[in-house]
Amino acid sequence: MVLAPLRRVYSSFAAHVIDVPPRLLALLFFLLVLFFPITTQAKSVLLILTTTFVYGIFAASLDLLVGRTGQISLGHALFFGLGGYVTSLLSINLKLPLWVTIPLSMLVGVLVALLIGFPCLRVKGPYLGLVSIAFPIILVSIIYYFRDISPPLDLRNIYGIPNFFPSLTYYQQGVAEYYLTLLLLLFSGIALYKIANSKTGMIFVSILDDELASKASGINVTKYKLMSFAISGLFASLAGSVNAHLVGSVGVGHLSLSLSFMPLIMMIIGGIGTIYGPIVGAFILQILDMYVLTRVVDIPSSWHYIIYAIIVIVLIIKWSTGLARFVVEDVLGELEEAREIEERGRHIWKRYKRKEKK
Amino acid sequence: MHLLDVESLTKRFGGLTAVNNVSFHIDEGEIVGIIGPNGAGKTTLFHLITGFLKPDSGTVKFKGENIAGLAPHKIVNKGVARTFQVVRPFRHLPVIANVMVSLKSPRGARKIEWLKTMERKALDLLEDVGLTELMLEPAENVSHGDLKRLEIARALATEPDLLMLDEPFGGLNPLETEFLTKSILRMHLDEPSRGILIVEHKLYALMKIVQRVVVLHQGEKIAEGKPEEIAKDKKVIEVYIGKAM
Amino acid sequence: MIEALIIFGAISGGTLALLALGFTLIYGVARVVNLAHGTLFMLGAYVFFALTAPPPFGVFQLGLLPAAVVTVIFVGIVGTIFYRLAIHPVVGDLIAVLVITVGAILIFQHLIVIEFGSKGWPVPSLVSGVATILGVKLKYSQIFAFVISLVLFACIWMFVRKSKVGTAMQAIAQDREVAMLMGINTERLYMLTMAISSSLAAIAGILIISSTSGRVDPYIWSDPLVMSFAIVILGGLGSIKGTLIGAFIIGYANVACIYLVPGGMTLGAAVPMVIMLIILLVRPKGLFGKKIEFE
Repeated sequence: MVLAPLRRVYSSFAAHVIDVPPRLLALLFFLLVLFFPITTQAKSVLLILTTTFVYGIFAASLDLLVGRTGQISLGHALFFGLGGYVTSLLSINLKLPLWVTIPLSMLVGVLVALLIGFPCLRVKGPYLGLVSIAFPIILVSIIYYFRDISPPLDLRNIYGIPNFFPSLTYYQQGVAEYYLTLLLLLFSGIALYKIANSKTGMIFVSILDDELASKASGINVTKYKLMSFAISGLFASLAGSVNAHLVGSVGVGHLSLSLSFMPLIMMIIGGIGTIYGPIVGAFILQILDMYVLTRVVDIPSSWHYIIYAIIVIVLIIKWSTGLARFVVEDVLGELEEAREIEERGRHIWKRYKRKEKK
Repeated sequence: MHLLDVESLTKRFGGLTAVNNVSFHIDEGEIVGIIGPNGAGKTTLFHLITGFLKPDSGTVKFKGENIAGLAPHKIVNKGVARTFQVVRPFRHLPVIANVMVSLKSPRGARKIEWLKTMERKALDLLEDVGLTELMLEPAENVSHGDLKRLEIARALATEPDLLMLDEPFGGLNPLETEFLTKSILRMHLDEPSRGILIVEHKLYALMKIVQRVVVLHQGEKIAEGKPEEIAKDKKVIEVYIGKAM
Repeated sequence: MIEALIIFGAISGGTLALLALGFTLIYGVARVVNLAHGTLFMLGAYVFFALTAPPPFGVFQLGLLPAAVVTVIFVGIVGTIFYRLAIHPVVGDLIAVLVITVGAILIFQHLIVIEFGSKGWPVPSLVSGVATILGVKLKYSQIFAFVISLVLFACIWMFVRKSKVGTAMQAIAQDREVAMLMGINTERLYMLTMAISSSLAAIAGILIISSTSGRVDPYIWSDPLVMSFAIVILGGLGSIKGTLIGAFIIGYANVACIYLVPGGMTLGAAVPMVIMLIILLVRPKGLFGKKIEFE
């Protein structure tokens, strides 16, 4: 009963570039996407949209963690890349079927999320950002290390990952993959949305808003943060593993900072915290990337990243609440009473004055 | 056995001793007030009891069990609830959801099995503090006075055996103060075995409610007794008036 | 071999200290976690290369010393401008700063790819020749880097402790509100700190790259960044003394890894990262960090 207005309230809070599309528009868009494959015979064109679906899942997964639970994660590519690596290694080396390897890589994603969740959750704010960057970097180091000590074990790039539908023709594959991935996007999007708007999602928001108050309400914040991490990691590794089979390869590029930044861009463009916003953001970014920047105005790919980064920076600056109080001082703020400020002030003033005299 | 037994509690921050060897207790059903000028360490004391700070020495016994240093949420689930001096609502959640967060805690969720009952219980709590019309309003749009009441509703949601209010009258106009005074007394009557600990500046409001007063100054307990006695205590008067000089 | 470990560990520690100092300063004073710090390091190395290289890049072909000076000034200015444009509006919002500085990494990395391509380019040493100390062969440029790093570190340390501006910086680091109440112009000091921080990063870039790999490529921002924050977390965010000690610990850990672990060279960034994670689990405030309680 309460959760309907919760959804409504929540839509109004998230930073928006795109407003909630009226139902009709959303339906129209969905129909467009549904029937799009009719318009083309080229798998390459279909692949563009299929990749967008994958990024949609990826971005939505990060939104739950960052947008709803407030845990800044700058290394989300870890799950994407890991998902790709696990499924490819299992399907190539152990010859397991895809409907086994992909769920397994999702499982690995959850386990890794819980594992790295521990150090991540012991720290707050800036520390969390630093720690989250560390993990993909460590993994890449390890991959390079294994290549160095034993050349046959070169996992920098894995090729020849089996396709979903090896028995179909090239174009048929494209269509089948298109609908399969669309289905996965719908499933993931709806699942994440439902979680975000459940009682558990409500607790996530309480952690985002005021972790201290949440604890004071009797909530085991660490448990819920881990949950958020795990769910986020689950869907991110789904995205990564599906991507590996679509593209046929996976590599250290899938663990890069640029890839970790992509879902952030999509979130910021589409609306942080809405779950569907980042999915829309993925479409917008893809259109921008593939059409505007490539065909309409021909710009080399390096500039794309620069433009996106600048867009993100501008948007963040525009929406920032201005001089928000430093987290540290906020925490200590409760302990500061007038007398204490005076006391400290006197102390520091004395030293400062002494310097001035010299 | 006392409901809450604080013994020789001490907390230092670098060179500053915020709480110095403080001891006092509350029994079931008592309403006790803690007063003292700014910087006396009242809020720090609250943080120490509710697990937001770890004491350097001393014990905090709740129903005989030492809870000093436990994680805040564990203490809440044992039956100690607190409000904050500066209100801490969940800005993005509607008012009723703010209360429901507390109801999702293990202690708050006791005896609640189905969705319906949680909403119902939240509504009841809002009714008790008079916030029913604002139930669907996002907390960030709610006035300060109403947020103060929300704080109390959230604390009550966990059905605490010890309710700790940190400056509940702060920033309230006379009408709101009156209403809150009545609410606290009603809370006391509804749940006679519950202990209530109130930190407050507004002495005239506090003295009407409490049965006993503890006075802190610069981290130390300097007096304790009935409100009438404290009001006449020379040391206490000095400390308050001395501040103004 | 022990001698090699001792000597190279020290050199590594000394140069890393200078690098991490910039990171610590801007955090201590402005509470900015500048993830683009490694990028400024890289920029320093690249600009130095561009100024000293023969055509097609080297339009200027400056001498080594003038090139270094120009590089440091240039990167200092770039860093300050970047701070003013992109960070100043959101100072205080830690998460916004993080995302913005990550964006900066991407911008600078790709700008460099556009301008210089993704392959590597050679960077000349500042001092040539080889020496032998305690039976260990090492380049003069390494000794030079080590000495300059420590000298500069000491200079900055004294500047912060003794000068009036430095004391103002300390005041802000300790208590921003009080400093503002006392009339200290925090905004100008933030910019100054950023200028110093960027310059230090650039100097470290020139010194470290020219004395070790001698090569720049668009990915050399990664290791220095990782080292910087591992050092700063180990030593305690905002503590200069901690940065020095942390730098030597990490420096020795790196060198030990290279010598003792087979193929340790490629583990590169993993070692400091692991150390950092252990510290965060065991003692989050680092060796000398300010105590932050309340949760």
